Amino acid sequence: MTGFRKSIVVMLAPSLGLIAVFILVPITLTIWLAFTKWSSQTPFATATFIGLDNFREIFGPGSVGRDFKGALANTALYSLMSIALILPLSVLFGMLIHQAELKGANLLRTILFATYMVPMIAVALVFSKLYSPSEGPINQILGWVGIGPLPWLSSPDTALVSVVLLNVWQQVGYFTILIIAGLTQIPQSIYEAARMDGARGPALFGFITLPLLKRTLLFSAVIALINAVQVFEPVALVTQGGPVGSTNVMTYHIRRVGIERAQGGLGSAMSVTLLLALVVTVTAVFALARREERR
Amino acid sequence: MTIRPLMGLFLGSALAAFSSVAWAEDVTVSFLTHWPPETVAKLEAAAATYAKDHPGVKIDVRAVPFGDLLTTLRSQAGQAGGPTITGIYDLWLPELARDKLVNAAPAANSADVSTNWPKGVATAASVGGTVYGYPNEIDVYALNYNKKLFEEAGIKEAPKTWDEFYAAAEKLTNKDKGQQGFGMINSWAAGVVHPFASLLASNGGALVVDGKPQLDSDNAKATFDLYEKLIKSGASVATMGTADANTTGPFLDNFVSGKTGMIIMANWWESALKAGMGERFADIATAPIPVGPKGDGPHSISYSWMTVVSDGASDAEKKAAWDFLAWFNGPTSGENGASAMGDLLQSMGILPSRTSDVAAFSERLKTPFLAGYVSALSEARPFPTVLGGQEFTESLQGHIEAVQFGKETAAEAAAAAQADAVAILEKASQ
Amino acid sequence: MSLPVTTSAPGAASPAWRGALYLLMIAIAVVSAFPLVWMVLSSLKTPAEAMQTPPVWIPGTPSFDAYQKVSELISVGRSFANSAVIAGITTAGILVTSLMAGYAFAKYRFRYREVLFAITIATMFLPPIVTLIPLYRLVGSIGLNASLAGVIVPNLANAFGIFLMRQFIAGVPDELIEAARLDGASEFRIVFTIVAPAVAPALAALALFAFVYHWNSYLWPLTVLQGNSNDYPIVISLSRLLSYNRSAVNTGLVMAGATLAVLPPLILFVFLQRFFVRTITASGMTGQ
Repeated sequence: MTGFRKSIVVMLAPSLGLIAVFILVPITLTIWLAFTKWSSQTPFATATFIGLDNFREIFGPGSVGRDFKGALANTALYSLMSIALILPLSVLFGMLIHQAELKGANLLRTILFATYMVPMIAVALVFSKLYSPSEGPINQILGWVGIGPLPWLSSPDTALVSVVLLNVWQQVGYFTILIIAGLTQIPQSIYEAARMDGARGPALFGFITLPLLKRTLLFSAVIALINAVQVFEPVALVTQGGPVGSTNVMTYHIRRVGIERAQGGLGSAMSVTLLLALVVTVTAVFALARREERR
Repeated sequence: MTIRPLMGLFLGSALAAFSSVAWAEDVTVSFLTHWPPETVAKLEAAAATYAKDHPGVKIDVRAVPFGDLLTTLRSQAGQAGGPTITGIYDLWLPELARDKLVNAAPAANSADVSTNWPKGVATAASVGGTVYGYPNEIDVYALNYNKKLFEEAGIKEAPKTWDEFYAAAEKLTNKDKGQQGFGMINSWAAGVVHPFASLLASNGGALVVDGKPQLDSDNAKATFDLYEKLIKSGASVATMGTADANTTGPFLDNFVSGKTGMIIMANWWESALKAGMGERFADIATAPIPVGPKGDGPHSISYSWMTVVSDGASDAEKKAAWDFLAWFNGPTSGENGASAMGDLLQSMGILPSRTSDVAAFSERLKTPFLAGYVSALSEARPFPTVLGGQEFTESLQGHIEAVQFGKETAAEAAAAAQADAVAILEKASQ
Repeated sequence: MSLPVTTSAPGAASPAWRGALYLLMIAIAVVSAFPLVWMVLSSLKTPAEAMQTPPVWIPGTPSFDAYQKVSELISVGRSFANSAVIAGITTAGILVTSLMAGYAFAKYRFRYREVLFAITIATMFLPPIVTLIPLYRLVGSIGLNASLAGVIVPNLANAFGIFLMRQFIAGVPDELIEAARLDGASEFRIVFTIVAPAVAPALAALALFAFVYHWNSYLWPLTVLQGNSNDYPIVISLSRLLSYNRSAVNTGLVMAGATLAVLPPLILFVFLQRFFVRTITASGMTGQ
């Protein structure tokens, strides 16, 4: 039995050891720092314990609280919009590629998925040019059909949506693949049986495809959420959180406060709050899904 | 003739003489900068020249993108392996001094800086009277306008007062052509706050007096009002003013392509405008900041960049670093009495701040575009470098943008900006 | 939303409907490819063309000046080599650690297995910015800062890889493993000579995923390399082209740099994508 125990340790030690040292230790430090006043450019030893003061401040009425709550809301909105666009589009694209039996479907899949390989920094730079109100091709094309010009990244009303569209463009191919994977696991016999009963297009979709894709969709939503919360480069390189803070998302705000302003305690409290929000959201989503399933 | 220039000459040569003494042991001095690759190449060339006379010293240049400099600075200052020398924006100095991460300049270097730089610039490189670095780049603001658009609108000369300025902005506005009179920046903290602060200074006000924010003074309220008036009349279009992290984007594009009549911008933009406009750059003229009803004359704000030395470096590294900086910023390292730093800044179209550099480049600085900036230097008001300065700037940026996009009225913005600023500066000084 | 599900019912859709679907398919492909095509076209424009309003689509005389200039400004070859080292070694490490941990989680029964697995998976949710400074200090304290090793070592294991491998290895028949054990094979041998080939497509997919992710990563290498530009990967060298006062001339440069940075992951993708698709399909990564 000791031999067996030894091989468990040997198999797990490299990965769990690395994860413990390079993820769990830093996150523990972050949690501790959240309860301290600490200038991020000094050693950890200079941090002084101040209890919940940082949390009081980030949820307080002052400018720190306003900016933080704004950033939290922006991240939530950004994630929601991303998921709300990515899921239906990836189902549509997945069905188009997998079920419609069109020639060139594999080529479309390749093109869609290729965007996922492009470095985010390149995506951000290219889109900042595409979105350019006067010199960008998007407004030019819209102009041909009599729309616009739209301000895109230049207005607090449209900037966040514009970053969402950039994100959707990059990620939808990946989720399309996930959906195709889900679709291949739906047995053809179910469709055939339903067709025998006279079911056609919309009914097949509503009663078979969608319900059987539920787990795939749930998984996709969680992955899309993780990805959306981590959005950083387009904001850091292009919008800098503006205009009027409309694209100031949590990752960027944490860097600004915790690193650039050297307010390490406040930044850590924001990080911890973000993590808690994520844990609560994901747990709630899974709990809801489980309850649904039991019905 | 005062004694100062003579003393400067003496100090300069003394330091230069001292600097050619060979080093006992090998030292590597790292130099962190946000400069672009072309400029980094020039810095490396200067470092190589220095190394010829200082065989034991190696200058190792580290470069990060502009938008990442502050993050790099905060995470590495005071860390083992952090840079020996860092190029910083003066607003960042107070926090570095508070955390004891920057080395106070040795007496000779301190005297060098206070003697050979204008007083305001030397002050910005100091905290509590202690000099912490060698200033290099200085930036001031002026009104830039498109002469062609002025001609078309029938405006004879650059506006001198706020009334003339507003009238000109209205005349220059042409909605059918998508043309705005005055361009306001958004999304870029310094770009938003500095023009506002310059207009405020030209209306007899200041952002901060004796460490206390003055954003709800009558002078400041009038400046917010001016912004609101320009926006409401359509003479300034907020969505035309977005800038990205590299200070480019629609704000620049619109001025370059003749869709914006006037902007208030800093001298270092010359290279961007030239590159974007080609021959049409000749259409751009410079004028002093328009003077408000309460103002006594045009005042730009000024800010500077400097190089500081890490306090955590070894004594040998610190000694070598200060010696290199004295040489690099001194009158013997460049051409015709200029410093190597001055040469490097000039290659980017940036104003050097050392008195002898300004003299050495006087011919070059006489271009119509830059002359307007050089003349603004003497009446410029340094941007307040206080603890919490970065947060203060970003908070004020938020309220100015809120006025631009109609999310706050001028009065609301002034009151809210003041309340935030009081809280921020109070907290920072604790 | 009424796509016909026609797989085994040919003729169910009218020619008009199929025509509409083809049009839709072309439209999606065009929208998807457009930004990349624009990027390449922009890299071939002259600076004047890049600044023109309305925008120029096809450069008058395609010019490779921008590429020439990029290679003068940043050491492209060196940056590519750095990216390849970072992404290559990190990927190799992830494959090994994920294979081993995935095997243990899938095939061993031991106390706290589920808890350990859950904690591991939870780390997937962590936005990297949250631990940036503590991690940087930690890496500095073990002397790995300012080196490629500092970029690589903290990323040699990750939760996604472990999750993926566990899902796959669970599907490898126990008999196969038992038979090897009876032949006296060590557990190591079993993992690398029996299990690994059995999950080869999944390994290929994980390799693609890890390689692309670490080829593209920005914030961590930037932080840990401390401005040591000799060690910069291509994406950071690319961002150095965005210097703050040379904007206009640099549009073409930046687009040329971006084109260069995009090429290697795209090429790799073309070769490995079929594994990726197959893996996801079979992995239970879809939650099935």
